[in-house]
Amino acid sequence: MPAERAGYTVTMFVIDTSPSMANIRSVEMQNSAGETTAVEMSNLQWSLQYVKLKIQEMIFNGRKTDQCGVIVFGAEDTKNIIHAEHGGYDNVLEYIPIGQPNASTIAKIDALEPSTVAGDSMDALIVAIETQARYLASKKTWTRKITIVTDGESPIEVEDWEATVTKMDALNITLVIVGVDFDDEYMPYTEPNKSHIKRANEEFYKILTSSMHSGDIGNIAYAIRETAAPEVKVVKSALLGTVLRIGDVETRADEAIELSVKASKATAMARPKSWKKFALRESNREDEMQVEQDKDKAVFAQLKMKTEYFIDRNAGADDDEDDEIKVEEEELLDEGNPEVKKSLEKIEKEELVRGFKYGTTYAPCPDGQFPRLQTRKGIDICGFFPEKNFRRELSMGDIQYIWADPSSPQQQVALSSIVQAMADTKRMAIARWVSRDGMDPKMGVLTPVVQDNVHFLLWSQMPFADDVRKYTFASLDTLINKKGQVLKEHPYLPTEEQLEAMDKFVDAMDLVDAGDKDEEGNRTPWFDPSLSFNPAIHRVKQAMFHAAVVKDVVSNPLPPPHPETLKYFDPPKRVLKRARAAVEECKAVFKVKEGKPCPIVLPKKVARAKVNGHEHANDEDDDLLLLDRKQPVERTPSQMSVVEEAAPASSKGKAPANAEDSATESESEEELLLEKKVPSTPAPKQGRGAPLPTPARSVSPMIDAGRAPGRIIGNTYPLKDFQKNLAQGDVVSKAVEDLSAVIAEVVMKPFSSRRTDEMLQCMTTLRKTCLEEDEIDAWNAFIRDLKSKCLSRPGNPGFWQHVKKVGRDLGLISKQEAKKQGGDSDVSENEAGEFIS
Amino acid sequence: MPPYDDWNKIDEEEDEELQDASIYETKKDVILFCIDCSETMLRLYDDPKYEDVKTCHVFTALEAAMQIEKRKIIVGPNDSVGILLFNTTRKSENTSRTQGSEIKANTYLFQPISPLSAPKVQELIQLLDAARDDPEEMRKTFPPFTTARVPMGDVFTSCNWVLRDGAPKTASKRVFLITDEDNPHPSGSKQLITSARTTLIDLTQSGVTVEPFFISTNEKPFDVSKFYSSVLLPTNLGDEEEIQEDSSVLPESISISRIDELLSQMRFHETPKRALFSIPFHLADGFTLAYGLITEQRKGVYKYFVDLGDRMEVATVRTTYVDEDRQAEVDRAKIVYGPDLGAGAAGDNEEEEDESSGTFGARIVKAGNRVRTKGKKGQHVEDLIIAKPFYSAEELRSFRTLGLEPGIKLLGFKDRSELAFEDNVKHSQFIYPNEMSHSGSKRTFSALLKSMVKKNKIGLALCLNRRNATPVFCALLPQEEAKDSNDWTDPAGFHLIPLPFADDIRGAPISEAFRASEGLKTTARAWVDKISVKNGTYPPDSFPNPALAYHNEQLEASAFREEYDTESFEDLTEPKSDMMHKRAGHLMREWKKAVMDDPSASLVVPGAGSKRKADVSVDEAEIKSKYESGLLAKLRVDQLKDFLKSKGQAVSGKKAELVDRVSDWFDSH
Repeated sequence: MPAERAGYTVTMFVIDTSPSMANIRSVEMQNSAGETTAVEMSNLQWSLQYVKLKIQEMIFNGRKTDQCGVIVFGAEDTKNIIHAEHGGYDNVLEYIPIGQPNASTIAKIDALEPSTVAGDSMDALIVAIETQARYLASKKTWTRKITIVTDGESPIEVEDWEATVTKMDALNITLVIVGVDFDDEYMPYTEPNKSHIKRANEEFYKILTSSMHSGDIGNIAYAIRETAAPEVKVVKSALLGTVLRIGDVETRADEAIELSVKASKATAMARPKSWKKFALRESNREDEMQVEQDKDKAVFAQLKMKTEYFIDRNAGADDDEDDEIKVEEEELLDEGNPEVKKSLEKIEKEELVRGFKYGTTYAPCPDGQFPRLQTRKGIDICGFFPEKNFRRELSMGDIQYIWADPSSPQQQVALSSIVQAMADTKRMAIARWVSRDGMDPKMGVLTPVVQDNVHFLLWSQMPFADDVRKYTFASLDTLINKKGQVLKEHPYLPTEEQLEAMDKFVDAMDLVDAGDKDEEGNRTPWFDPSLSFNPAIHRVKQAMFHAAVVKDVVSNPLPPPHPETLKYFDPPKRVLKRARAAVEECKAVFKVKEGKPCPIVLPKKVARAKVNGHEHANDEDDDLLLLDRKQPVERTPSQMSVVEEAAPASSKGKAPANAEDSATESESEEELLLEKKVPSTPAPKQGRGAPLPTPARSVSPMIDAGRAPGRIIGNTYPLKDFQKNLAQGDVVSKAVEDLSAVIAEVVMKPFSSRRTDEMLQCMTTLRKTCLEEDEIDAWNAFIRDLKSKCLSRPGNPGFWQHVKKVGRDLGLISKQEAKKQGGDSDVSENEAGEFIS
Repeated sequence: MPPYDDWNKIDEEEDEELQDASIYETKKDVILFCIDCSETMLRLYDDPKYEDVKTCHVFTALEAAMQIEKRKIIVGPNDSVGILLFNTTRKSENTSRTQGSEIKANTYLFQPISPLSAPKVQELIQLLDAARDDPEEMRKTFPPFTTARVPMGDVFTSCNWVLRDGAPKTASKRVFLITDEDNPHPSGSKQLITSARTTLIDLTQSGVTVEPFFISTNEKPFDVSKFYSSVLLPTNLGDEEEIQEDSSVLPESISISRIDELLSQMRFHETPKRALFSIPFHLADGFTLAYGLITEQRKGVYKYFVDLGDRMEVATVRTTYVDEDRQAEVDRAKIVYGPDLGAGAAGDNEEEEDESSGTFGARIVKAGNRVRTKGKKGQHVEDLIIAKPFYSAEELRSFRTLGLEPGIKLLGFKDRSELAFEDNVKHSQFIYPNEMSHSGSKRTFSALLKSMVKKNKIGLALCLNRRNATPVFCALLPQEEAKDSNDWTDPAGFHLIPLPFADDIRGAPISEAFRASEGLKTTARAWVDKISVKNGTYPPDSFPNPALAYHNEQLEASAFREEYDTESFEDLTEPKSDMMHKRAGHLMREWKKAVMDDPSASLVVPGAGSKRKADVSVDEAEIKSKYESGLLAKLRVDQLKDFLKSKGQAVSGKKAELVDRVSDWFDSH
């Protein structure tokens, strides 16, 4: 899909400064840690917060074509273009003319104060439309937006509003009305004790916005929160012309192929915007006078980076230790140690000569570089290879699209034939790309993409031989003992049981069906890069916006990140729940334990070496030839309490520091081998290797009386059992299922009335759990089933009466209620109401 | 410092004070070549590459050492290299040399450990040149110790002394042991074995890794079990900081190879293995593994500032932050951070409308802004703190990390096929379990790897690699152990491939284009088939970076004060056009003809771009005829520009320049 055109927008902010906007309210401020504090501010200040955030967004994006103007109504003065010509538009002030905003725009908005006269928002709207229309007279294609911020407490002249709507639709204006304490179903919020006039105004605004092509109304608190919602800055990649070559176009032009193509970026790493550095300007004597005047002002000056060059004249004297000294010096330099500075001499940049270091020698190179490799612009194909052999992990960076020249059908057809030929045979191409004449070449691969309407190539840069670091690592599968035999069993090798547990884990954690349901009710995969916002970018942006619009970040802390930025931070609930059993099993069989990272052993080892020397020389050949014999040296007491965990790292041997008596090492190994067969042995002595792994069976819970086979909830103390299970974090679904069954059983039994209160309590807990743990469907099924059971014969209509008395709190969970908890339900609000009545 | 530039490059260009990569920067690498000079090592044989040339193992070993020195000197100018020979009767003639002056008998320190320099490399090159002229030169320079063999214990002791004297304490130290003798103590004396072992442990415990390169020939096969397997056994014992504490066995640290592969074997070991970071890997709540991470790739651009005087000296660079209006330096601790003030924002306050200074802004806030906050007990507290719409460096970091601790957190699994070609923004990293911090990591890792390979899955994880990095979603691509043709084993582990965020993905600017007919596709397929490599893939090893190599060769020549012959440079990345034409030339010609004849040739793209302008485009043939008749100047500027644009040439400049450019293009085509 083609990228939308960013910028080219004029947004008019229409702000209400009527007296009612001076009302003070207490706004809950949440800081990053989620703690709330109440801050008092006027409705106007609060409303301006929203306007400032919106304007800051424009400053942040920094587009010249993203402009705004501010119209104020309920102003003391009157000054606007229509009033000047026709009169009748009193108390409407064109406060800030249309232009690209900057920090001073925000400072100006901050200066707005509630007035003593009420203003009419419709007057202001008409002024805004006209002001915008005149400004854009010659720029018909620009996007027009108008945002009204008001508390809806001032009277509106609604006459002829349809004409205004027609006018706005004709100009393609998007109108947004943001109101203080407006009712908002998305939030959801309904204001209690709404004044008569406000109710009427809100009603009017609703009709106004809904009769427009593009109008919306909302609550300001919600609008402020949504400003933090991540939004992708649309960047349209430029098409850069280049040529695609196959063969030698110079000497064999009759055969060689040359295509005119365009490249554009398909991915490009976006980074958080950089912060500017500031420092509080401290007063000094010279301007003390001024400070006197500006006592209540603190000036934060933006800082500029300055680079200085120093030379150490004495450095040559002590060549050998040169390096170490230098390091020290640099450290000291940072601390600004004046003594060290003395031996350093500041050098002007002009005096410096560029060069390269060649070991301890220098190769001067005045131009900053040697003559460059002669290269010719273009992409040369070096050959094709089967796609299946492509090593995905070698991709080095951004991906680029390669398109045929959009102005030449012939070139398009030519490229298309190559793309199709590659796609049909499942091939990729190796290519060499020179972006400009004389630029360093890059190597990469081209892969064909066949879409319905267009065929193109994708480029990915691949590493040069110099770029790939080859490291050797020990094999994870092949462990060889001293005799050269491959080991079949070893603490480092997973057992069958472990492999099985891992398989289950991998299956349970599959994300293929973990996403939301699509239109047809099928589960979609979870996670999509094109919906994953870069949390750092958006958090930094949010913080920047916040700092730009508030006067103090301490008393007015940054709110927590928008939930959208964090949506992929944890595996989906569904998956976690499904995987709970598999995770427990894995924990049980793998017994991964945190060991203390091995301390760095300082030279103090002679003793060990000596002792070691003798015994080891005669080591029996059967011994494992394990080159490392390290182990987590000690365990913390808490870890030791675990029943004889396997610690494979420490399978044997000991840390060098622990060289007590290596003579007995081989025996101690024997010992350990024995130990492992006795899983209940207390933890081994410190410094000794732990035994080989013995997967302990998890102890199955004792069956309490009253618990039906296979159930984890008994009929005797259902609530207690249920809560216990939840507290352990065990399988919630199972607990819910069992409790549902138990309740139904108990209720259907004769003489159940004495347990009515208990059962209602169970149901309350169950419903709460279902709501929180995304078991909403289970609850709805349960309560429906219970209702039909109670009302059929032989039922328990009496019990249902009790349930009805409690009302909605034990009824079906509706969509709206589920949403608040982040869940979903297919029950409508009405249905839920009817069900329980 | 170029060698690890790529590692040091912190993703965030700002906040250098937060960088913690300095350990990689300051860590130096020291290699001591320890070469056997015994009779068999010096035995001459015909050079496999050149006719009528005799060579010997010592020569090859020294040549490899020279190659490594040459590479190191560019890649790691601060690294040190030394060469120690054993089983030679040559004595250190220069007693003033303090380093290793007391080494054991029949060992000789040819090049003491010192930072590399051009003369040092040249010394070795001269020796090699002399040996090439006169094969006996090696024997003369390093007469073999024929009566017996130096006990290996003495060799290791000598290495230890040399390294102790010559290597900086903090460096990573390695001994490359090169010998063809698999049984240096034929007597089988327990004593000698024990001493070899003991001294080797000494060496290991002072932080030195011994990486043996054993030469095996048909006449003299190398059997590790004769002697070395019992001696080398505990080699890696004391090696805490590296992650090569590995359990396993010989291949990890011992290369047995034919002599001609010595250099390539050394290449694998050339860069010391360093963990880029070691962070926990959370598979699920309470199920955590730890992994050491290793990175690959990329090279820095070398730029140094050097001061000129009686000698060359590196200038120290220091960056400070100043308040420009006051010309005052600001203490780093006092710096606070705020957003950009926007276009043209300057001292924007009513009273201070003097925007004359222009470039630099300041933000003015009311001091003593009597911040009213509700105190804990409900009463209002008045603060006289200066209101501050700025953040501290610490806060900045928390914005970036979103309060996460470094680690890899598994989110779930997806099908391998979901890892799309285009979902890439950055190079990958490699992770390998670290048994040291979490016991049981290896088997769990191994099981996970196997399970994922079996089910053809990739993992999805949220990663924060360092404390001041930004969180990123990564695909975990399982890598099974695989041997390639060059004896190189791809180690088992996961490739951690960073996925693009929505913010990084750009829409396709073109959604429609003409497509080729079935017939044309078949014609194209004919030549595509011909220039395909059947079982090929992208071979990184075949493509050394030509620009870098070209630069380095010139740098070397400049350091050796030699003229550089630019003609001698060979760019291995250039396509093998001769082969391509030979195989597919005629098929390409046919395809070209088919393209020319395609009906699309006469089509013109409708609409877009040509805004109400008359159709002025002239086709290539017409321009060519103008060019041939020297009448290019008759064409209009827009026509010339259109043509140049279609050829991917610049369209800037005056008409005369455009004409020149067009004729240049025809000249070269």
